[in-house]
Amino acid sequence: MLINISIEGLLYFGAISLSLIGLFGLLVSNNVFRMLLALVMFEAGANLILVLSGFRENGIAPIFLADYSGAIMNDPVPQALVLTAIVIGVGIQALALALILRVKKHYKSLDMRVIRSKLEHEIATQANVEPPGSHHAPKQIVRAGEHQ
Amino acid sequence: MNHLILLVVLPLLSAFIIPVVAKHSLTISRLIGPVVLVFILALVVLSWNSVGSNGFAIFLGGFLPPVGIVFYIDHFSLMLSGLIAGMLLIVWPWNSYVAPRQYSLYMLLTAASFGLVLSADLFNLYVFYELLAVATYGLIARQKNPAAAVAALRYLFVSATGSAMLLLGIAIIYTLTGTLNIAHLATMTDQLHGLAGLSAFALIVIGAGVKAEMFLLNTWVPEVYSTIETPLAALLAGLISKLATVLIIRVLLMLFQQSEVLQMLLVVGVFGVISGEMVAWRAKDMLRMLSFSSIAQLGMIFIAFSIAGEVGLWIGLAMMLHHLLVKGGLFLLADKMQGSFDNLRGYAKRSAMAVAIFIIFILSLLGIPPFPGFWIKLMLILNLAEQNNTLYHYAIGFILLATVIEAAYLFKLVRYLFQDEEAATIVSTPKSLTFWYAQIFALVLLVSLAFISPISNRLKDMASQVANPDIYINTILPSHLSGGNP
Amino acid sequence: MNLLDQFFVIVAVALISIAMLRNIKVNSIVSTLWYVLMVVMLARMSSVAYNADTITSAFSIELLGFRMYWKFTALSWFFSIITVVSALASSLFMSGDWGKQYRQQGGNYGLLQLALILNVVSMLILLASGDLLSLFIGWEFVSWASFLMMVLMPSKTAKKAAVKYVIYAIVGAMALLAALAMVYASSGSLDFTQITDAFIQMTDNMKFGFVLLFFIGFAIKMGLLPFHLWQAVAYAETPGPGAAFLGAISSRMGLFTILVVIVQFIGLGNLEEMNIALPYLNMKSLLAWIAALTTIIPTYIALQQHDAKRLLAWHGVGQGGYMLLGIMMYDSIGSAGGLMHVLNHASYQAALFLTVVAVVYRTGTSDLNKLGGLVTQMPLTFLVMLIGIIGLAGLPPMNGFVSKWMVYRSLLVNGEPLLFVAAVLGTLGTILSVYKLIHNTFLGQLRVEHQQVREVPWSMMVPMLGLSVIVFITGFMPGLILPWIASIQETIGLPVVTYHLGGIEYAKGGLDMIWVSGILFYGFGVGALIFYFLGGKAKRIHQYDNYAGGHFLSSEVKYHYSNNFYPGLMHLIGNWYRGSFKWMENVIVSALSFVSKLFENMYRSRQPVMLLVLVAVVALFSIYKNYSGAGS
Repeated sequence: MLINISIEGLLYFGAISLSLIGLFGLLVSNNVFRMLLALVMFEAGANLILVLSGFRENGIAPIFLADYSGAIMNDPVPQALVLTAIVIGVGIQALALALILRVKKHYKSLDMRVIRSKLEHEIATQANVEPPGSHHAPKQIVRAGEHQ
Repeated sequence: MNHLILLVVLPLLSAFIIPVVAKHSLTISRLIGPVVLVFILALVVLSWNSVGSNGFAIFLGGFLPPVGIVFYIDHFSLMLSGLIAGMLLIVWPWNSYVAPRQYSLYMLLTAASFGLVLSADLFNLYVFYELLAVATYGLIARQKNPAAAVAALRYLFVSATGSAMLLLGIAIIYTLTGTLNIAHLATMTDQLHGLAGLSAFALIVIGAGVKAEMFLLNTWVPEVYSTIETPLAALLAGLISKLATVLIIRVLLMLFQQSEVLQMLLVVGVFGVISGEMVAWRAKDMLRMLSFSSIAQLGMIFIAFSIAGEVGLWIGLAMMLHHLLVKGGLFLLADKMQGSFDNLRGYAKRSAMAVAIFIIFILSLLGIPPFPGFWIKLMLILNLAEQNNTLYHYAIGFILLATVIEAAYLFKLVRYLFQDEEAATIVSTPKSLTFWYAQIFALVLLVSLAFISPISNRLKDMASQVANPDIYINTILPSHLSGGNP
Repeated sequence: MNLLDQFFVIVAVALISIAMLRNIKVNSIVSTLWYVLMVVMLARMSSVAYNADTITSAFSIELLGFRMYWKFTALSWFFSIITVVSALASSLFMSGDWGKQYRQQGGNYGLLQLALILNVVSMLILLASGDLLSLFIGWEFVSWASFLMMVLMPSKTAKKAAVKYVIYAIVGAMALLAALAMVYASSGSLDFTQITDAFIQMTDNMKFGFVLLFFIGFAIKMGLLPFHLWQAVAYAETPGPGAAFLGAISSRMGLFTILVVIVQFIGLGNLEEMNIALPYLNMKSLLAWIAALTTIIPTYIALQQHDAKRLLAWHGVGQGGYMLLGIMMYDSIGSAGGLMHVLNHASYQAALFLTVVAVVYRTGTSDLNKLGGLVTQMPLTFLVMLIGIIGLAGLPPMNGFVSKWMVYRSLLVNGEPLLFVAAVLGTLGTILSVYKLIHNTFLGQLRVEHQQVREVPWSMMVPMLGLSVIVFITGFMPGLILPWIASIQETIGLPVVTYHLGGIEYAKGGLDMIWVSGILFYGFGVGALIFYFLGGKAKRIHQYDNYAGGHFLSSEVKYHYSNNFYPGLMHLIGNWYRGSFKWMENVIVSALSFVSKLFENMYRSRQPVMLLVLVAVVALFSIYKNYSGAGS
């Protein structure tokens, strides 16, 4: 039974798992940087699936040489596509990193919960309205002993 | 006609040239963008008549489909291109503090938008969609407001995940069919109408839906629109969201014209309308209100597109144009009247003109006769009623309910604007240029009132052109691939 | 160019000229003249009113596959003449000294005149509508024009009321739009005649929805229960003559559309066949009961008011009930009464509002607890108000009596004793509260601060007197109006009433107002004779020369019993004022607020990606489910 699993299936399994791990990471992590890493994994998984769609078992590199013998070739189109996708992905990751640096500089935190609530407060203050959420919640929790 | 390729090439080129030129002459770098945009606008206008009723295809590098890159041009895409160029000219940042790099981003955005409109190839659509996304993140993050960086980051996570799903969807389609040319795919829709094909479509819709402000994929909208400059918000809400919608509609029309799919779109639209209006109702400041109302309007557009056939398409197109005009105008106006409702108390005394325009916009938005919005809403509702499906009839009820809620919050704001005692704090200094544009938008809205018939006829023609996959297939594909159709 | 076209050209030119004229004096004169010209034009079209003709305008608009056109029937003519005459009275009233004072207090006089003409134009467009689409558009115009009128008042309450009105109006418009969609879905067209066809094709449940949607749309404008909350405050908080105009005719547009759509094209006979689950209750009697409740509840709310304008405005809501009640009786005399009541109500309501505005003009307040004894200072205004309240209370010889009598008679003849009791209950409340109105304003002892008050100038007096003449003449000789009513009944398919100059002929007892008034005046005459010539003990005393409980009232404490009017009655019925409808309104708002809070929290999700993944999972799962289900 185990032997019957094709290499293609195994690869697909790996790729899908990778993207699922990425998604899971996106959902559960609070640290923005970890979220970015999870995103990278998810994208990598998606790219792998795309490149696998052009995979032929025992295929050769799709280059027309003089001694082309009619062997099975891997589909070149997905490879070209994935190259593009990877480039775009890298660009976005770099941009995200730059943004994360800026966020860290300004908010002194990388925790999604913290920066989100700070963002909400900032939007609300700029608009001069009460921040959304509970009207009764104190704006900042003051622990005992922290009073001036 | 191949010169229309300049639509993509010129902005892309200038995006890279601008920073280089800026090192030598700041003034020239400032001018490159507008000049290119004006040139493109002229190009679009001049080539309008030469595009026949069938549209035509540009084969890049002379490679014929399904191999090469294809651009497809018809009146619909030309109109969108014109709108893109015009809208960018309007929101173009003339301020002296703007860095040249920002101009580059705008030009990048332009190129990507044109590419998105013209591409006839799923992968190119993906590429341009990503390019658009990158430019958008950049523009949002470059705002002076540090909160915008957070908003951009959060937007990036949603959007990039969506894009990866889009890519996955494209990968599935490629696995199923071995091609990514939309026309070519349209000839083999049988292979797509299965479990895998529909999943792929769902993934594509989710990916593009992020930018199209689709229900549940739009959590970024309020954050981003509240932190960025209002002209940029006008661009994003007015135009970019529509381009993503167009992407969805193209794929839908060509490949997945099925009643279940349309109903899915309807449900999503209805939820968007209801949730958007309800949250907007709770909003206490201008920008938040406008963002959520924008979500609702996009939902309405989805509802329109969910009506099968040309009718739904032309109503949807009309709605898109109307929303572009009205919501764009409102965001431009919000440049002047920002902040909480409380801060806007008695604004009518400070600027009667702004308030008058505001009221024109919201009346049209609500669909009050005789404004254009009324005719569109009327057509939408009557045509929904004509559908033989109770789901569509429920949608009418939700639209009407949403309109009531919309009226409630818009006129709550109007009450603030007309209050007698003025707000203690002066809201913001008026920026004359955006205000002028808002006035022009209002004027266009009013003038269009006199041309409802010709406009609707044009839109109907466009819709029949877009709705017919055969035209698309025959124009793009060589005859041996298009299934033997002449 | 037929007469209707000429009429509309005149109306359009009037609108433009009033909008353009900046000079206040010229503006006032010109606008009054325009209204006079409109009355003349309507008089030239009187063949419509007398012979039940129809004039169709040559002007029509074809748009998006719809053809909109406009026409005048007897019904449109009847409502138009009321509209234009009310506007004439209001315009004349505001054109003189009142306008001067309004400007001095910071009001924008030109805008007020513009709002008035806009209201008139939009109402005329609505009244002339020839198909459902033009009706809907006219309907919206009317709503927004009256909104414009309402926001002119520089007060927070007024603006709040106006915005509340907008929300109600939009609810009505949307209900109407849904009904339009139902018509369109069944026939692909929006002609009036399609209403009938569409109705016949519908299933029973759809019929209920259809009628209710139309009814809700129209009832909101008319302020019928349970949609009455917006109207009184909104109308009362409108600059003086504007309130008179709106109070006289604006909300009757709802009645007009009910007559056109529900009575003429759906047909009361069809309503009668729509049985509701309860025995003896069908759609028509349901509407009749709504009308009856509308006569009672707002009237007793009016009884509680201590602001004269609000008191009148609440009565305006209540009187609408009589009109609908009469029409819902579906016989010649009841519907004639209901229709006549539109004109009668407009005439005395406008007169009453104008007297209150005149009092406000002189004293600066319409608070009934701060007035009193003005009869010595403003005798003519008092006379007008007296005539007005006799009309409003429905007593002879004024016109209110005629229409109410006809409605009562119809209720009795048709075997509706419960509805009759309800209507009488409403009238009782009316009499009590109009007495409160005139007593607290004009009777009792004059307040010190009002001792310098004089009668209002003639520019204000003339329209008031003119209106009261109408109130009397149409009461004395209802036969002047009844031909118009008969034409309307013929046009919209109701049984036609038989009339003569003094009233109506009816097998089960007619009415001749000339006789009634004659006897009434004869009685008064005899009384006066006895009183003045045979007794002759009358002694004129000063207003302050008064006793209460055997004590002389010193001139420092003015005796005027106005606070806490009707304590005994209020003690009895006070528990009924629970604000249930307000509570209902709040419940709806809270429910919406709750749902929207849920949505808001959804949009505030901490993890931006969470919802996206959720959507993806749900979408993919449902597709999978769909296909595996189809496969098995």
